[in-house]
Amino acid sequence: MDQAVRELSYAQAIQEAMAIALETDERVFLMGEDIGVYGGAFQVTGDLVERFGADRVIDTPISELGGAGVAVGAAVTGLRPIFEFQFSDFATLAMEQIVNQAAKMRYMLGGAVSVPVVMRFPAGSGTGAAAQHSQSLEAWLGHVPGLKVIQPATPHDVKGMLLAAVADPDPVMIFEHKLLYKTKGPVPEGYYTVPIGKAEIRREGRDLTIVATSIMVHKALEAAKTLEAEGIDVEVVDLRTVRPMDKETVIESVKKTSRLLCVYEGVKTLGVGAEVSAMIAESEAFDFLDAPIVRLGGAETPIPYNPELEKATVPQVPDILAAARSLATGSR
Amino acid sequence: MPVEVILPKVDMDMATGRISRWYVDEGAVVKKGDLLFEIETDKAAMEIDAPASGTIRDISGKEGIDIPVGEAVAWIYAEGEASKPAKDMSPVAEFERTPAAPTVAATSALPGLATAKSAPATPSNGARATPLARRLAAKAGLELDAIAGSGPKGRVMRKDVEAAISTPMLEANSPAQPDAIVSRPAASSQPWPAQRAVGTTPLNHAWLRQGVGRPIVLIHGFGADLNSWRPMLAVGPVDAPLLALDLPGHGGSAREVPADLDAIAADVEATLAALDVGPALLVGHSFGAAVAATVAARGHADLRALALIAPAGLGPEINGAFLRGFVRAKSEASLMPWLRQLVSDEQVLSKPFVNATLAQAADSELRAAQGEIADRFFADGTQTFDIRGLLAALRIPVRVIVGANDRIIPASQSAGLPGEVALHMFPATGHMPQVERREQVLKILLEMARA
Repeated sequence: MDQAVRELSYAQAIQEAMAIALETDERVFLMGEDIGVYGGAFQVTGDLVERFGADRVIDTPISELGGAGVAVGAAVTGLRPIFEFQFSDFATLAMEQIVNQAAKMRYMLGGAVSVPVVMRFPAGSGTGAAAQHSQSLEAWLGHVPGLKVIQPATPHDVKGMLLAAVADPDPVMIFEHKLLYKTKGPVPEGYYTVPIGKAEIRREGRDLTIVATSIMVHKALEAAKTLEAEGIDVEVVDLRTVRPMDKETVIESVKKTSRLLCVYEGVKTLGVGAEVSAMIAESEAFDFLDAPIVRLGGAETPIPYNPELEKATVPQVPDILAAARSLATGSR
Repeated sequence: MPVEVILPKVDMDMATGRISRWYVDEGAVVKKGDLLFEIETDKAAMEIDAPASGTIRDISGKEGIDIPVGEAVAWIYAEGEASKPAKDMSPVAEFERTPAAPTVAATSALPGLATAKSAPATPSNGARATPLARRLAAKAGLELDAIAGSGPKGRVMRKDVEAAISTPMLEANSPAQPDAIVSRPAASSQPWPAQRAVGTTPLNHAWLRQGVGRPIVLIHGFGADLNSWRPMLAVGPVDAPLLALDLPGHGGSAREVPADLDAIAADVEATLAALDVGPALLVGHSFGAAVAATVAARGHADLRALALIAPAGLGPEINGAFLRGFVRAKSEASLMPWLRQLVSDEQVLSKPFVNATLAQAADSELRAAQGEIADRFFADGTQTFDIRGLLAALRIPVRVIVGANDRIIPASQSAGLPGEVALHMFPATGHMPQVERREQVLKILLEMARA
């Protein structure tokens, strides 16, 4: 049966995925601060509490460590919790449960249990929320074996990847860029999944590969349009998953274009793009490189409150244009 | 290891910048934090400090030109550091250092100078090249240090290797594609500088070497392109600036069919003017020699000497069987017998040369344009133009370089030249003395440039 496709916002697509999970799997429940009557810090859960009741859409106290601990424990017992953080920055408060418990338990108990918990992290800058509410910490969690870390960039992907996360036996961390919540795109009705660990080529090109994550995918596509008019044919790879990384897609793309630009919002040093560039330098694609690999990442600074400075600390379209031009013309 | 001084990014939107002035000179001793130069952007001028202490050398970032962000504009050498490591040495960088490298005792205040001149030639495995360029060069059997890198600090990139591989002297033809061809009107009556805006270069060009002194301008023969000069340049150090042009309908120039030699000469003149090439030595090979002679005769360009290698235009005969056979050849089997006619010793026909000639057959637009050009200038196997009269009227030194065994244009055509024109005739040499006698031809050209 063909599934009808509608335009939904990224936030609506998440809500629809959670509703489908709640409907189709009685083990699924939602937890988080203000996700019930208030509808969530970014109104993602919306009216789900009215549709599914306060037993399955649970408001937690203001304690990320406590909430995460309950979610991890519930997952160990066989339930499928989806735990929402108000801001990804507060992952810092729950690190013990995420890093030492969720990520390790299956390994340390010899596979006797698994931890099928899903954690959702509103992330990124651009909302004027300042240094403690604007970070991109996906590389932190991506550094931990035992976790899966994803960054869907479109409404279609966030619905399909969230449903794939719920079905996954291991802990999956979803980083949702806050500026994406209102962006719209086609989303099929009903149940479908988008695989975790598989990148997507958003635009094919010959001259240069841009590997981008989350909102940077859209900025890269916008830059690619401008560059096309200048005769620079850009391939845009949406990484989608930080761990496990889809090396094959990136390697094949770089072998084709011979040039790699990594664009990510997290701090440049030791960020996701650092891993992508190191992976390529180690791979068979090395012998195909015709220019140094270039990274565009966040500035080495806390995110400023001032909106102009805030913009200046993360890659913007003109930065991508300048980097791509210098790479494609061989001037760097 | 020397510290790179780069053009920094001082503005988010900045892709290139201009150095408005240098505060230090080559060889100056600087301390970390000293003022080095000033950058001009659309919004502001900004002063840039030294990133390290030492002696400033190899200043390549000229004032007032656009420089890509991140490009090295100079290097800072620590006390006792002799030269940049081998991998940083490019023909350009090496050359720039040479004139300022006197023999200085080891106790000199600038020990960096003492050994710079004796730096060994760049070894292949130390040349600055991208991984892809290395792989392609190895595959084609090319030495990296024979390839001029066009990237930052002379880095050899894919396009440089591909250009080095593509050194065909004559090009196979396919049936013409008339829609790809643009006929141009004769330009002989156009006023200098041929009504073109200053700064536009009608012909594709490349500075194959940078340097000081009188520039040498090179014009290739029919069916070749500017890369065809690279084998000659690989045999020895060249200290003169060296500009190579692509003729119309050749290499990277527009796929046009010029009306006559004057039209091509006008393009050459406009290109030299736009590039601000001063008094120059003009060198042409075969058909390019006829173009060069025409440029010299028109008197618009500031030329101090003229070198004509196996020139066309000295007589009517040209090897029509060669032209016909060569343009029809599609496979290595059918091409090789004709390529052998180009040279006296077929050992000089390298595998990359043959492969490049075959590979270029893929560019049907290019071959179509060249087919039209051949039909126009060598109609019915005849050289339809004559440069003898032009040579007689020239007031600059002219040398003609030919191979005694030239099977394309008979060497006998170089008999009876005006008395002031010098003739170098190499025995056991065919139509390409610049390939078969590359050391000697390069030596002659450098002598002419220095004279």
